[in-house]
Amino acid sequence: MSYESPVRDLLVTGGKTYSDITVDITRPIENKPSKAWWIGFAISTVVLAVWIYATTYTMLVGIGAWGLNKTVGWAFDITNFVFWVGIGHAGTLISAVLLLFRQKWRMSINRSAEAMTIFAVICAASFIVSHMGRPWVAYWPIPLPNAFGSLWVNFNSPLVWDVFAISTYFSVSLVFWYVGLIPDIATVRDRATSAVRKFWYGFFAMGWTGSTRTWHRYEMISLILAGISTPLVLSVHSIVSMDFATSLVPGWHTTIFPPYFVAGAIFSGFGMVLTLLVIGREVLNQKHYITVEHLDAMCRVVMVTGTMVGVAYITEFFVAAYSGVEYEQYAFINRATGPYWWAYWTMMSCNLLAPQVFWLRWARTTPWFIFMMSIIVNIGMWFERFVIIVTSLHRDFIPSSWTMYTPTLTEISILIGSFGLFFFLYFLFCRYLPTINMAELKSIVLTPHAKELQEKYTNMLEKGPVKQGEKAEKGELTHGH
Amino acid sequence: MDINSKKLILGIYDDPDFTYNATSKLMHTGFKVFDVYSPFAIHGLDRVMKVKRSKLSLAAFIFAMTGIASALTLMIYAGYIDWQINIGGKPSLHIPTYIPITFELGILFTAFGMVACFFIVNRMFWGKNADIMDIRVTDDRFVVAVEIIEGKTNVDELNKILIAHGAIEVRERIKEE
Repeated sequence: MSYESPVRDLLVTGGKTYSDITVDITRPIENKPSKAWWIGFAISTVVLAVWIYATTYTMLVGIGAWGLNKTVGWAFDITNFVFWVGIGHAGTLISAVLLLFRQKWRMSINRSAEAMTIFAVICAASFIVSHMGRPWVAYWPIPLPNAFGSLWVNFNSPLVWDVFAISTYFSVSLVFWYVGLIPDIATVRDRATSAVRKFWYGFFAMGWTGSTRTWHRYEMISLILAGISTPLVLSVHSIVSMDFATSLVPGWHTTIFPPYFVAGAIFSGFGMVLTLLVIGREVLNQKHYITVEHLDAMCRVVMVTGTMVGVAYITEFFVAAYSGVEYEQYAFINRATGPYWWAYWTMMSCNLLAPQVFWLRWARTTPWFIFMMSIIVNIGMWFERFVIIVTSLHRDFIPSSWTMYTPTLTEISILIGSFGLFFFLYFLFCRYLPTINMAELKSIVLTPHAKELQEKYTNMLEKGPVKQGEKAEKGELTHGH
Repeated sequence: MDINSKKLILGIYDDPDFTYNATSKLMHTGFKVFDVYSPFAIHGLDRVMKVKRSKLSLAAFIFAMTGIASALTLMIYAGYIDWQINIGGKPSLHIPTYIPITFELGILFTAFGMVACFFIVNRMFWGKNADIMDIRVTDDRFVVAVEIIEGKTNVDELNKILIAHGAIEVRERIKEE
């Protein structure tokens, strides 16, 4: 069916047939959840409860429950928002950009990465709502006629752009994910043994039959969705960065923010994908589908984007020095040597230095090490946002208003709790939907006939030529029609 | 048999290449291939079956233009015509700052409009009962469905072609409209 490069390793190992793929990928959905799933789900539910408690408390009391002050008006809330939006970038990047570049290794990971995107954007949106202080007026940034407020929204403001960017990103990602899921939901429907499963999977499969006419259109919309999602993914974090870049605060007012934020988003997104998949391939027994080569490819992306982010950090310093603007220069000196120096150096070592180990093949192919590194990347990227936001604000224009920011227990609970929300949704996803795109994977494994021929020729090479008089194989392998 | 129903002969295969070859042969010999069902898209099969190129890309373009036009109309109307806001003396009609929202709405309209059209042309909707040819078609089987026109189609030859190309099963099915 498809051309396989003879020098590259197979994307799916273990000689899987179409039916093996179906059975392996639907196993977690069709059987009773494993003990590992229950433990993970229970822990995330408890952590989710912490999030619900802390968020509700904030909404009842107001953002006075947080450690914000007159100088530091944005801190944990926006740090967490940008952190989660950034994580939400890998999914669409993997499915859209790698589809356009015809990178077939994306097929084993795009489904779970897209799910991760959607859940991460939900987490991010929760911070937007809670940081408003009055969440019941969260509809104010939506352009509604004057009767709802006094005026229209200011379309020149990046905060309004952000509302459009995040909501478009969320809904388009959701559509992309769902369209990709339909053939696989149909597979689960056709294997269902209980009426309830048959009904619900049948409901969402929308009458999918696998007709070639449908596939023809399906391929076309997948390509167009990928085509429009690629600039979308780049635009979203560019716009998030403009929330800062268009302001006057030294340390924020930087023209390199959009590309720098996008690189950071891809970096942190891949970090989180690695965190999930290194565990997931182990627990869900998917090592033949998410091979060490997949991890290797992702580690390379982490290394490249990590280095890009690192270059951006250094460029910022250079530009500050070169600009001759004292405020700008002080902002950066203060980042590296001021009271929050530890945050800055955590960021530097986690994001720029640590990923350099991925130059070594050993580091890119050792799962436990990759897992450890992925956690470091997550921590580093959270600190990046903290550094940008808090250390730029806490020493502002008038020294008399310089102050420090310390998070309260409520803020820390919301941050930790948001991981509960994320993993709660992710565990449900693993339980009810196929975590790997079966339909796509089936198109890259060897066809049954090709496999037969391959086995035959391998045997021949090992055992010597076929004896005279043996019947020749009927039909030949058809490639490249 | 209902007047609206079709009689189909199904050739069931376990290999996409065999399915492709069988379909190609049937098309060349002049049989009426009703449809081919597969667990994944077989590349090039749509061309062999002479499936007309979908106009979804045109739909996508039209929706993109609609999105862009709506966004610009909204912002120019709200920010310039209806109620101008003076913020730092900056112009109210400032096209460069309208670009991000115009872009986002263009994408939003394209995605939703195109996917809605996709569902409409395929007659897909939530809760639709799937008329599947073979339950294994979403797993590992490929079905070539050939329409039989009474008195016209040479069923013997059809069976021969299907089997010669490696069909593991051949059977009849009535498809209700």
